[in-house]
Amino acid sequence: MTERYLILEDGSAYAGKAFGSLATTTGEIVANSTMNGYQEIISNQIYHNQIIVFTQSSIGNTGLDQNAYESILPSAKGVIVREYENLATDHFKRISLDRYLKQHKIPGIYDVDTREIRHHLQKRGNMKASIVDVADDHAFDQLHATVLTNQQVAQVATPKPFPNPDEGANVVVVDFGLKSGILRELSHRDCNVTVVPWNFSAAQILDLDPDGIVLSTGPGSPENLPTSVLDMITEVQSQAPLFAIGLGHELFALANGAKISKLTVEHHGSNHPIREIITNEIFFSGQEQGYAVDPKSIDHAQLFITHVDLVNGTVQGLRHRDYPAFSVQFSPDGAPGPKDSVGLFDDFVEIMARRRDSNDDRY
Amino acid sequence: MGKIILDKMAMQRALTRITYEIVEKNKGVEDLVLIGIKTRGIFLANRIADRLQQLENVSIPVGELDITNYRDDIEHDAMSSDVKMSNNKINFSIEGKRVILVDDVLYTGRTVRAALSAVMDLGRPKSINLAVLVDRGHRELPIRADFVGKNIPSSQKEKIKVYVSEIDDKDAVELIK
Repeated sequence: MTERYLILEDGSAYAGKAFGSLATTTGEIVANSTMNGYQEIISNQIYHNQIIVFTQSSIGNTGLDQNAYESILPSAKGVIVREYENLATDHFKRISLDRYLKQHKIPGIYDVDTREIRHHLQKRGNMKASIVDVADDHAFDQLHATVLTNQQVAQVATPKPFPNPDEGANVVVVDFGLKSGILRELSHRDCNVTVVPWNFSAAQILDLDPDGIVLSTGPGSPENLPTSVLDMITEVQSQAPLFAIGLGHELFALANGAKISKLTVEHHGSNHPIREIITNEIFFSGQEQGYAVDPKSIDHAQLFITHVDLVNGTVQGLRHRDYPAFSVQFSPDGAPGPKDSVGLFDDFVEIMARRRDSNDDRY
Repeated sequence: MGKIILDKMAMQRALTRITYEIVEKNKGVEDLVLIGIKTRGIFLANRIADRLQQLENVSIPVGELDITNYRDDIEHDAMSSDVKMSNNKINFSIEGKRVILVDDVLYTGRTVRAALSAVMDLGRPKSINLAVLVDRGHRELPIRADFVGKNIPSSQKEKIKVYVSEIDDKDAVELIK
């Protein structure tokens, strides 16, 4: 097997063996500690321009499942694993991880001590990294010179609206680079979904007469998006029930006056207990988090903090005091990760149903 | 055995959602009091109060209302007015308060009608709202709930049974054919 290298911005280099595409790529390196669900992780657009290090020891050993993709065209920049299994277990034995990565020109490296890399990142913080053939000065120069785009949402979100028809509540999903799990859960609940581009205005959204609005997950910092997105949120949240997830949650917080900070080390995994404050219940969920809402910046006259992460103390959920608008940092759809909190989608559907049924004119 | 409509988790989520909606509609928790209607409404009212305590760090008074003497399907003798309220446990004034009546199932509306009369006999609240875990339809009076955990369209031949762990050893709502 071809030997290849993972090189990091701080000068460290890790030798390993190649699988997937043989392209040379650069991205931000992040570690994911989830035990299962590599397919969902790699295909999640939240990993746009990122190189994913799996701390789970063996990756690829369940093949790829036709029904488990989180996007059509993955935009991750690399996959680093310790042990790699080239299995295809779908009905037709067609797609293995190696084949999938080759199809999408994503390079992989195996036979690397991924837990050592995780420790390294924990100490040094997030940084740029490249997957290269030779770890020489030239490669490091190239890495240092590479500027990663901060317009990730525009790269991965749909440029045009599209429908996902059904016969239930009329839901507009604002796409910031959504994971399919959100659409899957809405479909399970018969929602008639229209997915619209991230830069749709409040008027364009409200023209679709939504029973509810979802702000999707997506990559990058919420502060890289123009403030017109925040204006859209403050306008629609008073008009229809709103459910925001991941990047959507961060934008919802910004729109309501809170501040966002970047985590020194991104948190990707499903091992952090999350506490729901109102019931004091603890549960687990998939988390892919590079940014966090600053709890001190929250205006308690406007927002409730509904959930907190018990390991790093980050705000994991918010709810508006005046409107049926709520948000979570984690992924309630699982895919991958526990589905402990998938009931949030039931809540959202119930809120929409209540609002449609009532002749209440308080909104 | 009936069909489970709400399991433990769904029941908890419904009460959580009702709690947020109470704060949303009342613009806070000022002057709020909860009054549970006999047996299961009382436990549900206590759970909502627990949630408000967690959320807002305030202790909302919870009262227990017995509507037996106000029911329209029982003939009251002349003495009944003396024993009115004997089973109520409402240790606070409702004068000028925002009262949230809490019951498990909203059906004909007659229980709520009786509860409204009973509350009105205690004073003049600023407002009365109704929170129910289940709304099963078939109203016989012009009454509706402000906060509903779950709408369960049902036939009048069916029964809705609410279990609360405080007295029933489980949390569930069942539809019995």
